[in-house]
Amino acid sequence: MLKFIVGRFVSYAVMLFIATSGVYFLASWFLDPRSNYLAMRPQPPIESINASLDYANINDQTPILERYWNWLTGVVLRWDWGYSPVGEPVSEIIWDRAWVSVQLVTISTVLAVVIGIAVGVRSAIRKYSAFDHTSNSISVLFLVMPSFVLALLVVLIYLELQATFDLHWFAVTGLGDGTFLSYVQHLFLPTLVLTLLGYVGFHLTQRTYLLDTMNADYVRTARAKGIPKNVAIRRHALRTSMIPTAYGIAFSITGTVTGALFVEQIFAINGAGLYFIETLSKNDINGAVSVAFLGGVATCAGLLLADIFVAILDPRIRIS
Amino acid sequence: MTTTFTANQGEPLLRANKPVLSVKDLTVSYGSEAGPVRAVRGLSFDLMPGQTLGIAGESGSGKSATSLAIMGLLPDSAVVGGSVQLGSRELLGLNDKEMSSVRGRDMSMIFQDPLSALTPVFTIGQQIAEALDTHQNLTRDQVRKRSLELLDLVGISEPEKRLKAYPHQFSGGMRQRVMIAIAIANDPKVIIADEPTTALDVTIQAQVLDVLKKAQRETGAGVVMITHDLGVVANMADDVLVMYAGKPVEYGSVDQVFEKPNMPYTMGLLAAVPRPDRSTSGPLIPIEGNPPSPVNLPPGCPFAPRCPIAIDECTTAEPALVSHGDSELHRAACIRADKIVAEGLTFNDVYPMPEIPDRQQLLPREQRDSVLQVTDLKRHFELSSGMLRRKVGTVRAVDGVTIDIRQGETLALVGESGCGKTSTLLEIMQLKKPMNGKIVLMGRDVSELNNAQRRKIRSDLQIVFQDPMAALDPRMPVYDVIAEPLHAQGWKKDAINERISDLMDLVGLNPDHVDRFPEQFSGGQRQRIGIARALAVEPALVVLDEPVSALDVSIQAGVINLLESLQARLGVSFLFVAHDLSVVRHVADRVAVMYLGRIVEIGDVERIYTNPRHPYTAALLSAAPVPDPTVERQRERIMLTGELPSSTERISGCRFRTRCPKYKMLDDADRTVCDTEEPDLISEGAIDQQRACHFPM
Repeated sequence: MLKFIVGRFVSYAVMLFIATSGVYFLASWFLDPRSNYLAMRPQPPIESINASLDYANINDQTPILERYWNWLTGVVLRWDWGYSPVGEPVSEIIWDRAWVSVQLVTISTVLAVVIGIAVGVRSAIRKYSAFDHTSNSISVLFLVMPSFVLALLVVLIYLELQATFDLHWFAVTGLGDGTFLSYVQHLFLPTLVLTLLGYVGFHLTQRTYLLDTMNADYVRTARAKGIPKNVAIRRHALRTSMIPTAYGIAFSITGTVTGALFVEQIFAINGAGLYFIETLSKNDINGAVSVAFLGGVATCAGLLLADIFVAILDPRIRIS
Repeated sequence: MTTTFTANQGEPLLRANKPVLSVKDLTVSYGSEAGPVRAVRGLSFDLMPGQTLGIAGESGSGKSATSLAIMGLLPDSAVVGGSVQLGSRELLGLNDKEMSSVRGRDMSMIFQDPLSALTPVFTIGQQIAEALDTHQNLTRDQVRKRSLELLDLVGISEPEKRLKAYPHQFSGGMRQRVMIAIAIANDPKVIIADEPTTALDVTIQAQVLDVLKKAQRETGAGVVMITHDLGVVANMADDVLVMYAGKPVEYGSVDQVFEKPNMPYTMGLLAAVPRPDRSTSGPLIPIEGNPPSPVNLPPGCPFAPRCPIAIDECTTAEPALVSHGDSELHRAACIRADKIVAEGLTFNDVYPMPEIPDRQQLLPREQRDSVLQVTDLKRHFELSSGMLRRKVGTVRAVDGVTIDIRQGETLALVGESGCGKTSTLLEIMQLKKPMNGKIVLMGRDVSELNNAQRRKIRSDLQIVFQDPMAALDPRMPVYDVIAEPLHAQGWKKDAINERISDLMDLVGLNPDHVDRFPEQFSGGQRQRIGIARALAVEPALVVLDEPVSALDVSIQAGVINLLESLQARLGVSFLFVAHDLSVVRHVADRVAVMYLGRIVEIGDVERIYTNPRHPYTAALLSAAPVPDPTVERQRERIMLTGELPSSTERISGCRFRTRCPKYKMLDDADRTVCDTEEPDLISEGAIDQQRACHFPM
């Protein structure tokens, strides 16, 4: 198992290096930080523009390979992700921003997985019951609702409640002043939105997978041994049906960094998603590359987790 | 029952007076869109301890619904009526929890498909332990001891190690042994085996049936053996019950039913299967028509529309299962049975002999043109793993196959699954230069063809697939299905129209039905469409890949007769791949036996069946069940030990030596020859029989 994980790490590192370098070249090609300065009125002198761009290592008059080399040595040797066009160091911003997103997404992902699988299993075992019909209808409603509509709706409903009953339980903007109570108050509504958006997928897929496996021959074998139907389903069908769900969970981690964009926007949380949009609109090559790198790390972490989950659940993978 | 001892054990059976399982007037019906499906319509039998009851019938006859109804494993939507008594306890009407205390302890079941019957994510040990823990309070040590005992009993070597293995590390035969171990774990009173060997090769089937008999001896359980294979019934059962359209139509001891069937359907079933132990010339006797749909059964005897001796009375009321005079225990549900018993009619009197045109007088084999000649064909697949595609092994799927087919003859290719039959076919069908060796079709080396020539020569080589449903596009009317190869060969529209109507006629289908879709035809008819498609472009050679193995026996006979008459009329050659040795004996002129990618014996079919020289051929032939209880009782089987080795393994010398019964009897000097030298195909004298064995039988 250890050898397998080390092997995966090596190949992920190679993949990440290629992907991030690719993004660096693409960003350098498409984003034009010089235009930020040229659009200024009064326009700064060319020399000072070049000096600013050179400081950030994003001057389009320097050969691209030279810029790439400088950037690469900076990242590899000093873990220095460069500067934005106005000279702010990227490394100082990105980690804080990413941490905000990770908190937001992790809590809601855990909730979504637990709720989604629980509802999925229950509705599969009681197929066509009232519970099944109700939960399916609710899930489909959330499935078709765009994330920003749901987020705005939650905010609206809460504000309405707040106005009517004069409750001040939660906040709808920012992340609070740092105390735990304020943290919970601020995080509650965005987490609720992300959980509602996320659990739907796990519910509907888990229900389908379990319905597929609970009629499998080996469940019938278990029943023929004398195990009651519901126990046989839980013991024999559930684990196999979780294998595809495990992939789903792992891949949802991929979205940790930039996936909560709308929610960040609506609840005014300065996470990595918003930062990504800012870097693109400000022609911040180094910033955009660092976000892409983080996205890549999340993807690899997701892939690795998927492999580990499935290896735990499925001996066929583990042994061969 | 008139016999007082069981054939299988050869020792007297102390017949208890009380049946262990008693089924009375069992009915099962499901709702469906077309209306209620009456899967079982009144089935009664008594099973004595230690006795084996065979339930035989074709697909849709209600066999499996019966077994699931007895076990209480039918879906909740099924309506079950009648009575099932285990000992003195009524089982119908028990809830799932109450049934759970009976299942696995007093009554257990072995299912058809061993590959999917074990949970893939648990070890064998866990799954056996579960069966024990559910019904007994045992310590971990006791469970372990009992599990090892069970694995040992069902013949799994190194049980200690195997307990920790997962199902996917086991072959189909071994998984079925594990299923048997689980079934007998709690010493049940009744074991229900639903087609337990249908998915297995004949050699493995013989082993598993042996294990099942042993398990029955150990537990003294009554066994209900459900199968479509009359050979298995003859081998295993004491009594037999034949089902048709959800009802028993004949019941008696195996000897009574096989020797003097009272019911035309049973006669037909027995006559429709060719025998592996007898040379049969002349056509098989098919039962015309198809089994009725269980949704809309006509009044009267459900077999009447297919019965050659049906009279008007047959269509008015369904006859009861009663004795017709030869023995109190031998019963049949047939109005005409009295006449059959009284006049001693056999199937030859009941069924009209179908006519098959005589074969054209063929020149001696050596003077006929060669259609296909394959020399030393090899196909290896590289196995690789990891990112860098490291080579980790080679699958020698085809490893030196030499066969030749002459005009107007049928060569059958037989062997266990995984021996490389299909790979050989695919390699030939490619019509490209093989990895090694030479393929000559109609005198032309395929490696020298350009693309245009290759397309042209494709019309000489056509194929018919095993599964007639999967092989026909469900969204294409039959006209388009058959026209496709003609379009590909550039035929004109008028010529195609005429050809299709000829072809439909040729394969015995109504030419007016060309605008129907494949699903509107029955299995046998679909296979006829597949044959028509293959014959459309007038090929010289048709490859038939298990063409009848997906069909019920009564349908199978018709398709086999069709193939024979087509060969007689058109002079076409067949390369016939099959695992059913009795069909091969009936159909083929020559047979090639394949083992691990090589031909081990090839030659005239009669010569090989009567005097096999290669030990593998001998073992294969002796494993094939014969639908005759007298023969089954007297046969000595050559049991092969173990399973087919993986084709990634490299076995030095003769590749059969690891399982060879002969090898075990040789002295060390002779064994060295087998260990080191790979035998070539050689013949003795001028006879048409070559074998690759240093020490033939």
